[in-house]
Amino acid sequence: MVLKRKGDDTEEMTSRERKKLKVAGARTIAVQPSVSTSGSGTVQSSGNALAGPSSTTVRFDSMQGLPASIDVEKFTEARAYEIDAMQKAIKTAGESVTHRVWQTLPRHLRRRAASHDVRRVPLRLRDKARAERGRSKQGKTKQVSRTESLLKRQRDKTWLETHIWHAKRMKMENMWGYRLAVTPTEKSFRPSHRASMHGSILHDSSYHSLIELKGPEKILRNVLDFCCDPQCTGMKRSMSGARVLETDLYKPRSYPFDLIAPVTIMWRPLPVGNTSAPTNVSPAEGSSKRKRKRKGKNNVLADTTQQSPERAIWVRTHPAVFDDIFAALQGSASLVLEAEKQRHKDVHAEVEIADLRGSVNAFEVMGPKASQVIKGALSSVVDDNRQEFKKFWPSLTDLQTTASLPRGIVIGMKVLDPRLKFPPKNAKLRTDGQPVTPEMTFPAAILAQSEIWDEEKRSVLKKPTYKKKDLDARRSKNLVPGTPLNPVRQDDRIPLLLIQRSLESPSSTHGIHGWTLVFPAGWGMPFLPSLIHTGTRVGGQRERGTQAFEAGTAYFPRDFPCTEFFDKHWDERAVKEKAKWNRTPPAKRANYKKLGTRSPWRADWEVVLGLPVASGVDENLVPAQRGPQDAMEVDKAPTVRPWLFRGPEVPTVLAKVTQMFNHDAGLLAEINRLRTKRGMDVLDASYRPEDLLKGALVMVRLKMVSRGAPNDLAIIYRIDDVEAKKITKEKGKTREGADANEPPEAAPPHTSIIGYVTAGNMSLSRGEGFAIGAIPVSVLLELQQQAQRNGESRLLVKIRDRAGMVCRAAYLDLLDS
Amino acid sequence: MVRFKNRWLLVEFIDTSTADASAAKEPLSTRSLDGRLIYNALRDSVVTNFGDTGWGAVGMSLTVKYFSPTTNLCIIRVARDHHRIAWGAVTLLTGIHDVRVIPRVIHVSGTIKHAQLSAIAHNRDVIARFRTKLKNAALHHDSYDDYLARSTREIEALQD
Repeated sequence: MVLKRKGDDTEEMTSRERKKLKVAGARTIAVQPSVSTSGSGTVQSSGNALAGPSSTTVRFDSMQGLPASIDVEKFTEARAYEIDAMQKAIKTAGESVTHRVWQTLPRHLRRRAASHDVRRVPLRLRDKARAERGRSKQGKTKQVSRTESLLKRQRDKTWLETHIWHAKRMKMENMWGYRLAVTPTEKSFRPSHRASMHGSILHDSSYHSLIELKGPEKILRNVLDFCCDPQCTGMKRSMSGARVLETDLYKPRSYPFDLIAPVTIMWRPLPVGNTSAPTNVSPAEGSSKRKRKRKGKNNVLADTTQQSPERAIWVRTHPAVFDDIFAALQGSASLVLEAEKQRHKDVHAEVEIADLRGSVNAFEVMGPKASQVIKGALSSVVDDNRQEFKKFWPSLTDLQTTASLPRGIVIGMKVLDPRLKFPPKNAKLRTDGQPVTPEMTFPAAILAQSEIWDEEKRSVLKKPTYKKKDLDARRSKNLVPGTPLNPVRQDDRIPLLLIQRSLESPSSTHGIHGWTLVFPAGWGMPFLPSLIHTGTRVGGQRERGTQAFEAGTAYFPRDFPCTEFFDKHWDERAVKEKAKWNRTPPAKRANYKKLGTRSPWRADWEVVLGLPVASGVDENLVPAQRGPQDAMEVDKAPTVRPWLFRGPEVPTVLAKVTQMFNHDAGLLAEINRLRTKRGMDVLDASYRPEDLLKGALVMVRLKMVSRGAPNDLAIIYRIDDVEAKKITKEKGKTREGADANEPPEAAPPHTSIIGYVTAGNMSLSRGEGFAIGAIPVSVLLELQQQAQRNGESRLLVKIRDRAGMVCRAAYLDLLDS
Repeated sequence: MVRFKNRWLLVEFIDTSTADASAAKEPLSTRSLDGRLIYNALRDSVVTNFGDTGWGAVGMSLTVKYFSPTTNLCIIRVARDHHRIAWGAVTLLTGIHDVRVIPRVIHVSGTIKHAQLSAIAHNRDVIARFRTKLKNAALHHDSYDDYLARSTREIEALQD
């Protein structure tokens, strides 16, 4: 670098000047210094020349016109110097100026803050980075502390504990009052799918709401009976607390209408010794108020409390429907308590419903390697005396997939601070070829015991005792660097729950299985790096939805028609898509009118079901004539309410209904049977059976017959017998050039629309187009009859993308089967 | 954004000054030249041959980026629009500061990188040509041969 003045200091130069000097230096080409051998009369060369070795002499013999004598070595030496100088110039000009130091790093080591924070660059490059960056900003006046600036951003939304980690790596969006990760910034659609099939993928689902209900067992059971899906079979099994129950929640007493959302219900297991016979033991901790009450009315209460001990239930739901579910549970509880009061006038029963949002965190780790990841990252405390647990914990090492375990099994345990053992190593599957006898883990209430249910224990753990820097100080005191820390008495021991989670449908092999890890709030960041370190991917909302899609299950809210939140979700989506469509020039967007797509923005179930549409096209126009006309319209309110028929018993019920002559009456009878099973009265007589069948929707799976992959909101058409026969005949044959010769057909008539696809894509696990949608139950029965007529075993339909011109055949199947 | 497009000329100044002077030592050769001198000569050539308009068209962007007295290679940068004026001026140069030269434009490119690469290729080409002449020992002799002969004589003299 050439300094202009002798006394010039590098610090004095501004960054711009320094950069200019650096660029100029990188771009100059070195010239071989030449010392002129001749004497006077020559111009002294300045500038680039320095003292150096002598140069070549080339003497020309004018007689011959050829070089008479040359020194080949010295000649080539000069030329070689120039070649070298040129190459060096090319290299430095390309490297030093066009790239910052952190741009030479591989992508997974680059950090956004590296441009201004030298600490984000690896040590060996730090000096260079320090030289490259400009001068720091003005002084310390007006410095908002980092905590303050971060809290300012959280005023209108909630951040998860792992927010900053996610924000650096994923695209974030405001959803349901939270700031959530949608998808990673790197291209990871297929790697995330592969991770859920063969590896492990983690999702932070701490945003799911938690509601706690406390009360006598019988009362709680009745509360749930009024709200939950009567078709769910695991109610009794889950009451011991050894399993969770995944079911749908409806508004109290209005099954099958008013579906709200699917929920997960877990019962707190009774303390040890109470599992078999419910005795009159009050729980170890409880509000003293209630104790006093019970003591006062001990004589009268003795009967009821002997039969139903005080239990607690946790209900985990989607955050957007929290209010609805809370209201539903409250309504149901009040109904049950009223009924109880009427039956036993002197008994005072109480049900406590509490909002526990933000008090627990949950991570969902899916994939076959999930068990090994959890076993490797977590270290259970030594003083756990349960025999079942002692057998279970080592068996996690050899667990190849959580599908081997009973569905929904709950395991409660206590672990040490995962940061003590950081960096963790996965537990290794045994590969020595010997057959591994799998340990059968049976759900047991004693296995599900955990202190996480205890409010006091959770609040104590809200702040970890040791910060990262304290642990690092401890680690530096180790004699041998790299040894894991030994747990000390003051270290925290964290209670948590491991819940087996499966996304699967009864008859398919494409299930995705894993664990849900539930632990107290305040421990999100200590757990996350330990779980991720060995290579577990992290997924956002998109990955979660894709997992449900690939497994062939319905994903709330995307695939649940006839729920309020489905409408809200699809309306938001429609607004976005419509805005994008409006922005696009007409030549580059689909012309839905011309293509004949009746409703390109949302699925119009009302029209599909044949119900009168609520409001017409023009809402802004006020009808010119008012008066008696309006009154008449109000009277003729539609009595047909759309509802979703969903549950594990759907295939059997529909099979029964098809056997009967009168489908409507059959369906009504079945619904009433289910209602009475749970202690609800039969449906009001004002519901006509025809209306019940008319408004019923059912979820279906569609698999393409030969080629094509449907998109979201694709339209499902029915096909007539002639076409069905042609399709089955041509199924096997694939003509070459068939693709090019397919003429775009006109869209089928709107009367043959039978439903819509809510999620459609090329399924990576199946290798063919796959879709999840819904059709009316009446149409499903018709399709079954058609299939019987034609002698087919599978139902055939046509699918057309909303912007597509070609209808493709597909096999239709019930989702719940 | 408007880009400033350039042309980079790779020029070799073939030294013919010493070809004339047979008896005298080497009065003038390109070894005494400099980038600055070449620029001056080029400017004079442009003004002489293309007038003031020519210099006005080319003068802002004309720069001599590199010159090596040992190998007589020069890299000149001109703006793309009127680079033929500069090219013509280079070709019409007969001498630089009383040093008679024959300029030979070896390569024209849009980036300096390709000019540098072409310089490397030219050097290798020249070396290869001279190396082939190695086979014909009569046409040349090595300075090391001289030195070897001289030192053997000195050692033999000592031995006696």
